[in-house]
This record gives sequence, structure tokens and C-alpha cells, in this order.
Amino acid sequence: MSFSVTSELKNGIAQFTLVGELDAAAAGTFREAIEQAAASQPKRVVLIMNELTYMASAGLRTLVFAKQKMGASVDIYVVGVQEPVRETLEMTGFQYSVVMLDTYNAAEIENI
Amino acid sequence: MKPLTVPGTLASLALVREYVRAAAAAAGLDRKRSYRLELAVDEIATNIVNHGYHEAGLSGDVEVRARNTARTLTITLSDTAVPFDPRRLKRPEQIDLPMAERPIGGLGIFLAMENVDEFRYEHVDGHNRNIFVVKRTAA
Repeated sequence: MSFSVTSELKNGIAQFTLVGELDAAAAGTFREAIEQAAASQPKRVVLIMNELTYMASAGLRTLVFAKQKMGASVDIYVVGVQEPVRETLEMTGFQYSVVMLDTYNAAEIENI
Repeated sequence: MKPLTVPGTLASLALVREYVRAAAAAAGLDRKRSYRLELAVDEIATNIVNHGYHEAGLSGDVEVRARNTARTLTITLSDTAVPFDPRRLKRPEQIDLPMAERPIGGLGIFLAMENVDEFRYEHVDGHNRNIFVVKRTAA
């Protein structure tokens, strides 16, 4: 299954919905979306991952890129991550650097 | 399963994963173990394409081959890229660093090693062989 990312920016929150398989071939698309959003200096990044079925280290690399591009004070929320992808995030220590939520929690995410 | 030969390009990665997924299903691996094997093979295949071929100014194929025994499934990747033994890389220290301070990259080989029961590397007759072995039952 191929990869797609859609992004929207509202109230200082850059939200990306990731769908399909995020491998090294697809990571450039995600990175471009991050770069575009970074130009408007969002205060928070939200990644909706319910339909992301696969993520390789190229995806992790893009998360690191996002954090460094947006700035250390910009929190990254990872929402609805599937179990195998969660396992990869935890194996590489990313659970300490992003906020992982099972479902979209407006009260927490939109309270900047 | 018959071996699959694909061009050593990023566009081939999805085909390699599909092959591994089919081999894992045929060997009776559950979803979690299948995913882990797929990830391990994908990470090494990515390195072959990016570092072994592209950065070295080379081009060539990657062959993926599955072999079952009663207890194990073995996936072998063969290529003619620059010789590289992934086992030379140590556990990346960045795993203990916050994301804002991490280098970009360096986790692929770690994920490959962590996600199979056994990993071997050989260089024979001008070919790299990266060999991934998983047990067919979780026991």
C-alpha cells in the first residue's frame, strides 16, 4: 500500500494524517509536508497515525527532522498509532520524546 | 517460493516487503513476527540501495530468497553493491537521547538486528549476503 500524507494548519497546530506504508521511498513526501508546515511556525505538531500500517527508520528520521525543524519547544503528538509501529517507536526510545495518545483528545491537544 | 530479483532502487522496497510478507504467511508466522521480519529486511535493503549502490555510484539488483525448515524461516538478500557487514555497527547511543538532540539517522541497522532471531552476513563471489533467520513458532 502506498503512502500519503495530508496536512492542515489551524490555531497554531500543524496536523498531519499519515496513511499507508512509510518507508525510505515515501519519507521524502512526509519531509516535504513538514518543511511546508514549518514555514508557518506552528506551536504544536499532531500526527494522526490510525491508518499508518508500516513505518521504517526513514519515518523515525523524519520525526527527528520535524522536531529539530520546528524547534525543541514544539511538542509532537502521535495519535492512534498501530501496535507494530508503536513497538518500533518504543524500541528506539521515541516514546520519551513524543506524546502518544490512543485517540484524539481535543482538550489536551488543543490546549496550547 | 521462487526468489525475487528487483532493481536496487527505493521503489523496489515495497516489492521486497511484499515478498517477505508472503513468505512469512506461508511459514505460519503471526502478524507481529511477520511485521518484525519485514522491517528487518526492509532496513537492510534500504541500506543496500542508498549506501551500497547509490552513494557509491553503482547500480545493480537485489535478490530476495526465502527458505523454510521445520523450525525456521530464512530470508536472504543478495546484492553486488559495496561490501558492508551491518554487524560492525554497535547499538546506537542516540536511543538514550531526547529527539531534539539526536543525529538524523542511524537506527535502521539497529532495528534490523533487534527484530530477527539471528542475523548473519557473508561476502561470497562479489556478493553481499544478508541473512535473516526467524523461528516459525513463538516458543
